[in-house]
Amino acid sequence: MSAAEYCVILFDSVSSTLLAEKFLKKANVLHKVIPVPRHISSDCGVCIRFSPEMRSRVEQALTGRVEFREICAL
Amino acid sequence: MKKEVDARGRACPEPVVLTKKALETADEITVIVDNSTAEENVRRFAVSRKCTVQVERQGGESSLLIKKPLHGGDSSGARKAEIPGHAQDEALRQAASGPLVLVIASDRMGAGNDELGMVLMRSFLHTLGEAEQSPDTMIFFNTGVRLAVQGSEVLDDLRALCNKGVRMLVCGTCLGFFEMKDKLAVGQVSNMYDITETMLGAGKVIRL
Repeated sequence: MSAAEYCVILFDSVSSTLLAEKFLKKANVLHKVIPVPRHISSDCGVCIRFSPEMRSRVEQALTGRVEFREICAL
Repeated sequence: MKKEVDARGRACPEPVVLTKKALETADEITVIVDNSTAEENVRRFAVSRKCTVQVERQGGESSLLIKKPLHGGDSSGARKAEIPGHAQDEALRQAASGPLVLVIASDRMGAGNDELGMVLMRSFLHTLGEAEQSPDTMIFFNTGVRLAVQGSEVLDDLRALCNKGVRMLVCGTCLGFFEMKDKLAVGQVSNMYDITETMLGAGKVIRL
């Protein structure tokens, strides 16, 4: 399997996504808010995309602050 | 002058950027690409510059013969296409299908909840940046201009669209009103004449 190009972190609500974004900004973690990729969910949801090497920093910035559903590699 | 551009194996938006560069110094160019997205993007870019395009496909490759418009015949052709004159607008009006114009009238998508509206707008512009089809022109006015200035969350998406050949008109009155004229980061400062002409010359206007 080739290395993932991006990871996305999924939340249960738009407000959790936005809250998470605030923490990521504070922690200076490069990210982008994007629609949830179609193959993951057909809902009109949003998630946060980041590069795989940021994964531990993302988890660190959010653990205990915002509940998230899962992190998927794309 | 003629030129050939080999854009095979190049990732988006490089084929369009190479085409744009070649058109600055040549009146007739041939661009070779190896995928349909690149073909469509180069074709659309050339059309937006009022060039004629002939496509020949062989195997998995396409060769696009692009010729600059005859009138004028000078090197300012590209600039003319950016600021359409009356003659060009008349031609557009007569065309069966004119350019696709996307109007961004606010920095939010939809009315109701502001925070949600901003998320939707970011989500929309990300998707638009990655979509195969792009509008020919995007017009930003009122709070929509905030999307095109320094510090905007969507600058990368707007730049990607620009590189695909999308023309971006940003309302100068609005930039002035918000005191952001010196902060414009993408697109060109425009005026109500260009905005009106572009809307009237459009084949389709989508207002967000």
